[in-house]
Amino acid sequence: MLLKLAWRNVFRQKRRTILTLLTMTGGFFLSSLSIGWMDGSYSSIIMFFTNNRTGQIQVHHEGYLEDPSIYSTVSDYQVVGAFLDSIPGVRGWAPRIYSGALLAVRPRGAGSGNVFSNSAAASVIGIDPAMEEAATDFSDRIVIGEMLTASAADTSYTATGQIILGKELSIILCASVGDSLVMLSQAADGSSADRMYVIRGIVSTGNADIDRNTCYITLSDAQILFTLEGKVHEIAVMTGSLGAVDELTGIISTGLSGRDLETDSWKTFAKEFYNGMKADEVQLKVTIFIIVLVAAMGVLNTILMMVLERRREFGVMKAIGTRPGFIVRMIVLEANIMGIISVIVGSIISTAGLLFLSKHGLVMDPPLDYGGTVFREMIASITPECYWIPAICVIITASTVSFLPALKAAHTKAAKTMRTV
Amino acid sequence: MKSLLLLLGLSIIPGIISDSICQPPIDELVHSLDQLYRSDDSYAEMSMHIVTPHWERTLTMKAWSLGIDKTFIRILSPAREAGMASLRIGTEMWNYLPNTSSTVRIPSSMMAGSWMGSDITNNDIVREITYADDYTYSYTTDTTLTGVQTDGVVYIELFPKSSTAVVWSGIVFAVRIEDTMPLWEKYYDSHGDLIKTVTYSDVQEMDGRIIPAQMQVIPADKEDQSTTITWSHAEFNRGLDTSIFSLSNLQSGE
Repeated sequence: MLLKLAWRNVFRQKRRTILTLLTMTGGFFLSSLSIGWMDGSYSSIIMFFTNNRTGQIQVHHEGYLEDPSIYSTVSDYQVVGAFLDSIPGVRGWAPRIYSGALLAVRPRGAGSGNVFSNSAAASVIGIDPAMEEAATDFSDRIVIGEMLTASAADTSYTATGQIILGKELSIILCASVGDSLVMLSQAADGSSADRMYVIRGIVSTGNADIDRNTCYITLSDAQILFTLEGKVHEIAVMTGSLGAVDELTGIISTGLSGRDLETDSWKTFAKEFYNGMKADEVQLKVTIFIIVLVAAMGVLNTILMMVLERRREFGVMKAIGTRPGFIVRMIVLEANIMGIISVIVGSIISTAGLLFLSKHGLVMDPPLDYGGTVFREMIASITPECYWIPAICVIITASTVSFLPALKAAHTKAAKTMRTV
Repeated sequence: MKSLLLLLGLSIIPGIISDSICQPPIDELVHSLDQLYRSDDSYAEMSMHIVTPHWERTLTMKAWSLGIDKTFIRILSPAREAGMASLRIGTEMWNYLPNTSSTVRIPSSMMAGSWMGSDITNNDIVREITYADDYTYSYTTDTTLTGVQTDGVVYIELFPKSSTAVVWSGIVFAVRIEDTMPLWEKYYDSHGDLIKTVTYSDVQEMDGRIIPAQMQVIPADKEDQSTTITWSHAEFNRGLDTSIFSLSNLQSGE
């Protein structure tokens, strides 16, 4: 009977109900969209960041992350790679060597001979072209020229190798595809490491800071140049799904225990990036809280108005013996019915909005610079959180804000109300 | 650390007559440190022994200097580096790499980098400063800087003038009064932390000059690491062909 009465009451005054429903549905819709936007944006930023550069998981020699040293190597990386291949959920892995070097090219124009006077310091990353391509789609970011081939024909350090330069680095060096380049560095055995390269491509990773001081050579070239035969500094692991990262990190770490290796997720090796995102998440949660609060105030306002308008009705109910508790339950139930309707309608509208934003995204103008990586478009994602969090907020809000007006209605003085209203 | 140029450059040490009791006039002593390895021109044969926790190696080389602004060094061994050479003219520096038959200019951003994997930086090679002109100095008795003080040794504290571009904030020199030979120098940063220690030993006569034939650089922040330079032969003020200090000679590989 209580439910029937509450249901009828909801639809007795349509204009008032529609107003309340609009407030609640609006709150649901905005909260849902914000959560979908937050999840989608951050997921895409993290995936972009990790897929392009770091991988979601990395394996290093113990202590490498705290003190990156040319001597801290993974010596049996092929064995580690075979283990990674056996783990379901690992989409790919890429071995890498890191070092620093002086790069120099001849200035343009005649008369420079073999004097390479356009020089700059740079980070050198040795990559396995095929594995890097499979793991990070490296060639997608090459803006001029081509990807490194699997290996130079002759990998001895007196032969000419291939090199890819970051876009900004190529500008600093005034170098372009086809130019010769000399690299001077120090090998792991202390000897001087120098070699001639031909620039095969120019890469733009989306992070100008990285592109300003990074170049790429093949892993086999790097192993010979730096006397690191059979060794790498890093194995970047691609999972394809952020949700699986923590579990896979645990599996890999357990599988590699006893090897002087450490396995870390992107939350550890990209700590600054992760902390920045966490700080932004807090900001967005505050925004969602404000949206819910505004919606709650609207609901409170309309329910108070409703109680005021129905004072005579409550007076009559009290006069014929209705208990105050019944009136309280009835009003709270009415608010909850409207809350449930809002959740249903809001879910439909939110799904449409989220679907649109997940396909088309929003163009960021100006682009969002996140740790040097520029994002031009943000897309939303549709997750269970987009529904259950706003739903709980709406229902709790409806119950909470209707309780006080319900108490007020329940304590209506029957005789006085019927006489004055 | 005093620049390698100073170590390679040459001139006769002015004899400072002093006894073991009195402190010699500090201006003369600092001037003698400046002139320790300097001369109008010089030629030296030396070896550089580098020790790190990961490897240990020795390079042999020949070095020429002209005044304080020109230096030329050719590596003789080991085989992988043989023929490599460094030419410094003023603040510019080039390296010749025989593997690629190329000459590379060292950019300013790399001047603080290691030279040939040693604890000597490119900056140490190109620096043209003098203690007398670019530092303020005084004798010190502060044992927190000098450690236990020895009889017959004076300790000098040097602070770079504001116009002197160096990465350290102070140097402490220990100098033997008897022959004005430096025993060691310690470099400190702005927090008073030790950056590196340079020790001098094996004092001997070379081409009429008394010089420490061995110098060892020990970085404070790198355990079990050092670079030791040993002079085996030196000639001073014999008159050098200025064409030595040219890019064409650098690339000759000889």
